[in-house]
Amino acid sequence: MARPSASSGEAGKAGWREALDARTALMAAVLLLLWGAFHAFTGGLFLTPENLYNLFQQTAVVGIMATVFVLVIVARHIDLSVGSAIGFVGVLIAFLIYTRQWSWPAAVAAGLVLALAIAVYQGALAAWLGVPSFVVTLGGLMSFRGAAFLVADGKTQPISDPVLLALGGGYGGAIGPLWSWLLGAAVCLALVSGLVWQRRYRARFGAPPRPPAADALRVLLPCVLVLGFVATMNGYQIPGKDTPQGVPIPVLIWAVVAAALSFIVRRTRFGRYVFALGGNPEAAELVGIPVRRVTLQLYALLGALVCVAAVVSIARLNAGTNSLGTGMELYVIAAAVIGGTALAGGSGTILGSVLGALIMQSLDSGLLLLDVSIGMRMVLIGQVLIVAVVFDALYRRFAGER
Amino acid sequence: MTDAAVSMRRLSKAFGGVHAVQDVSLDLYPGEVVAVLGHNGAGKSTLMKMLAGVHPADSGELLVHGQPATIRSPGDAQALGIETIHQTLALADNLDAVANLFLGREWLTPWCTLDDVRMDNRAREVFARLNSRFTNIHVPVRRLSGGQRQVVAISRALQFDARILIMDEPTAALGPEESAMVGGLIRQLKAEGVAIFLISHDLHDVFALADRLCVMKNGRAVGTYACADVNEDEVLGMIIAGKNPAERPQCMGPLPSLPTPQPPG
Repeated sequence: MARPSASSGEAGKAGWREALDARTALMAAVLLLLWGAFHAFTGGLFLTPENLYNLFQQTAVVGIMATVFVLVIVARHIDLSVGSAIGFVGVLIAFLIYTRQWSWPAAVAAGLVLALAIAVYQGALAAWLGVPSFVVTLGGLMSFRGAAFLVADGKTQPISDPVLLALGGGYGGAIGPLWSWLLGAAVCLALVSGLVWQRRYRARFGAPPRPPAADALRVLLPCVLVLGFVATMNGYQIPGKDTPQGVPIPVLIWAVVAAALSFIVRRTRFGRYVFALGGNPEAAELVGIPVRRVTLQLYALLGALVCVAAVVSIARLNAGTNSLGTGMELYVIAAAVIGGTALAGGSGTILGSVLGALIMQSLDSGLLLLDVSIGMRMVLIGQVLIVAVVFDALYRRFAGER
Repeated sequence: MTDAAVSMRRLSKAFGGVHAVQDVSLDLYPGEVVAVLGHNGAGKSTLMKMLAGVHPADSGELLVHGQPATIRSPGDAQALGIETIHQTLALADNLDAVANLFLGREWLTPWCTLDDVRMDNRAREVFARLNSRFTNIHVPVRRLSGGQRQVVAISRALQFDARILIMDEPTAALGPEESAMVGGLIRQLKAEGVAIFLISHDLHDVFALADRLCVMKNGRAVGTYACADVNEDEVLGMIIAGKNPAERPQCMGPLPSLPTPQPPG
């Protein structure tokens, strides 16, 4: 069978590119530098299992939303109403449980329906009528915050169900050392077997093989990170408890969401279409991609994750309040942008958003440990966002993307 | 006589109050290249977009291989074997060449995930047919040269076995060598019985490649002639002034010299 001779070299390059994206590596380096610096300046307070446990747990809600926001921004949309929607949905769930005595699964189901309705309403306006999503969701930002107040007349709705509270992390909100190790091992096993299967599949269709070293790196690095993470989380024991915490449930939810979205981006038509219509909306239309349907599906996905984030939020707070999620949209956008998502659309990675969210929260927590005042923290984090955007512009110019 | 691959009967399309295309009738036969000429805004692209499903026609009748066809979306057109190489190329710049080749019609594994391995392999074969040196198929197409981008766009037509091909300014962005390659490809597809609409501003190309030509002006067809019956000056006269050359028969059917196409086998 005739095959262009240069193809195996090309496959090699592609293999390495897939294993180690320069930009992601750079962001990871920034995060590690930040951690190292805070560790040094706080006299060894930062890189402790306790602090890292809390850091990841605090990042989870913003992290969950940032993953899907990458797709929203990639598709040239925006949603300014996520914070308010989380507030609305969260209060509704807490209200149904506390005031109306619903069971929590029923209340969460109702919350999901509401979140989807909000998302589809806004998505339909953006997709079918072509109203800029910025404007639609700016209206939503205000309306849904008001609605969050109306649900329970502004009264705080406490949560006491232990199962629901566990979803927010905290005292009983981790899966324990045994399950953490088992889960870590399962993830590693899945990564390795996935790679083996993929190599066999390529061989079966005569595709040029990837360099084994690149493939090994692609699997070994995540395995080391996962196991290291599990070890760290297992290193934290709340005083007075007999067993260490293990992986916090909200972080687990975040990880599942991030993995699912990465899968969607890399392996499904929907993921590819989202990128295609962000890269060139006219082309997407011309080649017959159902642009409106894809847009609506994207908003529905966003809605589903608004519900997830709302549940984790009220569980973390032990209550639903009408101010839940205030300002969240800014943190979520910032996390996605720091994570390398281009606001012009068409480019961004889920892993980047994970790193972006962690960088933001690390800055906040680290500066707090250094006793920097809230005002100064806001000033600094705001400027970091600008640094990220400037860097993004320079990087793209350097890489010849503009 | 074989059925026309495409038969447009009195097609019209208006945008707001502007009649972009009015009462245009044009046939295209298998193995034939028909050039569509005219100024910018003469309606040629709109006419082609009606066939491609981008702008469904307001009125008129469209027959594809003798059967009445309703084409309301690019998907409808694709299902009828109509492929379009758009003037803008319709590439998603942020995706690689393989993703662009299959865009909208990805191959899936039995688990409904993208079958990248098979798509990669197929893409290599298709690209190699047009340009054997084109191997950087995994970088975003924005980093490719104009010629390589054109190869990606043209490859779509090859990959999906176009029976009817619309080429909107296929050589506008190309150097002489690549233009010659596209010319060769058009002759090859024609020999395989593909029916081709060629939109071009380059009269030299038109006379070299097309069997017949149709000139449009202000949304109407000025006239349709066999290329052999008219010269460049007369064609320019039609494009600029909308003036039909005197005492030349219009040619609405296929040329008698058109070979009976062999079904590809």
